[in-house]
Amino acid sequence: VRCQQYPPLRALQASAALRRASDEHKKEPLTSSSQQHFDSPPAGHQPEQEPQGPRPSYTGQGGQESEDYESEEQLQHRILTAALEFVPEHGWTAEAIAEGAKTLGLSVAAAGMFHSDGSELILHFVSECNTKLSELLKKEQKLVQLGEAEKKPIDEFLRDAVEARLRMLIPYIEKWPQALSVLLLPRNIPSSLNLLTSMIDDIWHYAGDQSTDFNWYTRRAVLTGIYNTTELVMMQDSSPGFEDTWRFLENRVADAMTMSNTASQVQSTGEAVVQGLMGAAVTVSN
Amino acid sequence: RALLSPPAGALRALRGLAAGPEMHFGFQSVTEEERRERIYQVFESVAKKYDVMNDSMTLGIHRVWKDILMHKMNPSPGTLLLDVAGGTGDIAFRFINYVRSVRERQLQRKLKHHQNLSWQEIFESYQKDKFNSLGDSQVVVCDINREMLKVGKQKAQHLGYSEGLSWVLGNAEELPFDDDKFDVYTIAFGIRNVTRIDLALQEAYRVLKPGGRFLCLEFSHVSNPLLSRLYDLYSFQVIPVLGEVIAGDWKSYQYLVESIRRFPPQEELKAMIEDAGFFKVDYENLNFGIVAIHSGFKL
Repeated sequence: VRCQQYPPLRALQASAALRRASDEHKKEPLTSSSQQHFDSPPAGHQPEQEPQGPRPSYTGQGGQESEDYESEEQLQHRILTAALEFVPEHGWTAEAIAEGAKTLGLSVAAAGMFHSDGSELILHFVSECNTKLSELLKKEQKLVQLGEAEKKPIDEFLRDAVEARLRMLIPYIEKWPQALSVLLLPRNIPSSLNLLTSMIDDIWHYAGDQSTDFNWYTRRAVLTGIYNTTELVMMQDSSPGFEDTWRFLENRVADAMTMSNTASQVQSTGEAVVQGLMGAAVTVSN
Repeated sequence: RALLSPPAGALRALRGLAAGPEMHFGFQSVTEEERRERIYQVFESVAKKYDVMNDSMTLGIHRVWKDILMHKMNPSPGTLLLDVAGGTGDIAFRFINYVRSVRERQLQRKLKHHQNLSWQEIFESYQKDKFNSLGDSQVVVCDINREMLKVGKQKAQHLGYSEGLSWVLGNAEELPFDDDKFDVYTIAFGIRNVTRIDLALQEAYRVLKPGGRFLCLEFSHVSNPLLSRLYDLYSFQVIPVLGEVIAGDWKSYQYLVESIRRFPPQEELKAMIEDAGFFKVDYENLNFGIVAIHSGFKL
């Protein structure tokens, strides 16, 4: 009979690598012999989707207090973060993940938890970059609110945000084309698209966009187009400091601004023309 | 007969567990002790014809299953593999081949990056790597049955495998290895014959390094009803006959087929693996469940 008491028993289980959040480097002494004869509640396996939150303290073996254990997901995140260091050398592959696992003191076989094409590693990296960008933009916004910085005009804001985000790719630029192709695999498209759209959304949010009409879609579509094309240009850019890319970016953003101005001009001209026609019609009918 | 019983059996007797609980041997009911003895005898008698029988029973498909297991493992050079119940060495040889080819590719890539070095430096690095064709990977084949190990060693010699390979006599329920030693633990078509599966799983957990992987390739349950009927027909009508014709041993293959039916299905085995402490336990059905690969990590 499997008892449903997962949290306390996990403390007793004292797994080797899932360490306590509070206790960074001490490995829990695993006495396997005393654990073998547990006929009553075996250590349960929590569903992966639930991140383990703080649990009530439980006194495990040897009177040690065990509090939050990290979940498998958190361990996987740690492995992927450690693996990023090896990407320039090994590419976005299972080898890089294996090296990353080694630095954490785990066996190279831990790389088997992930796909052999490195999808998770790339998605993890993209997600981390997006988070960094969000924090950067939030900091800037705070400075503006405190009055310590000037509020940037829209085109400059967009340009800086996209540039900051693309600069994060620079250490990995050699292997980035490989990553892009993996992100386009059908299996990965939902996740990669999700990450892309949420990043664009973020940028527009911090740019102060509060539109509730169709503009919301056009703005995002335009910025997505700018971001993707600039990224592709960056892949082939060999100029010092990627200055060609930044100039390209500047031009695209300027184009977008002109386009929106032209669009509103067209709209107002159109309205004027319609009014003129109406007036003419009224005159003629009279 | 008593002289031939495995060391672990003697140990168990010493511990006073002489008349163990009722267990199954195929569709018969036997004690724990008897089961171990009878299984030992089964493999002792089939050892020489083991590979031939595998090929004829599964029409060669067992090779594909083992290849799939190796691809799933995707070992990188430097991996230490423990192959339990590895008898005739199928998994071990595949591991060596795989690691060798990965290593070759690694070396080629390194050489490509060395475009700007002098010839002297390239020569030196090549020399250094040449004598490391396996990249420090090693496989230990452990089996409880002396005859199976003998056949395995002969095969290795015949096929030319010598580097990175070692053969150890041992019981899966009580492995003669230290804790936290191996990167990967595999047991291919062996766990069915272990008398106390829970002990074997616990031993697997013990000898694996943190982050290490447990892989089990085993016959499992077919859920598709039509296929299940065909499979039963083939198993009970054809296989023992093949056993008699090719190996001259009907009873052993009758045992084989019955033991497959008695083995826990996929979900139950998954639960047992989780109980031993493994995380991220999952299984992959091959051929609609005729065979399943279970995988777990020691985290």
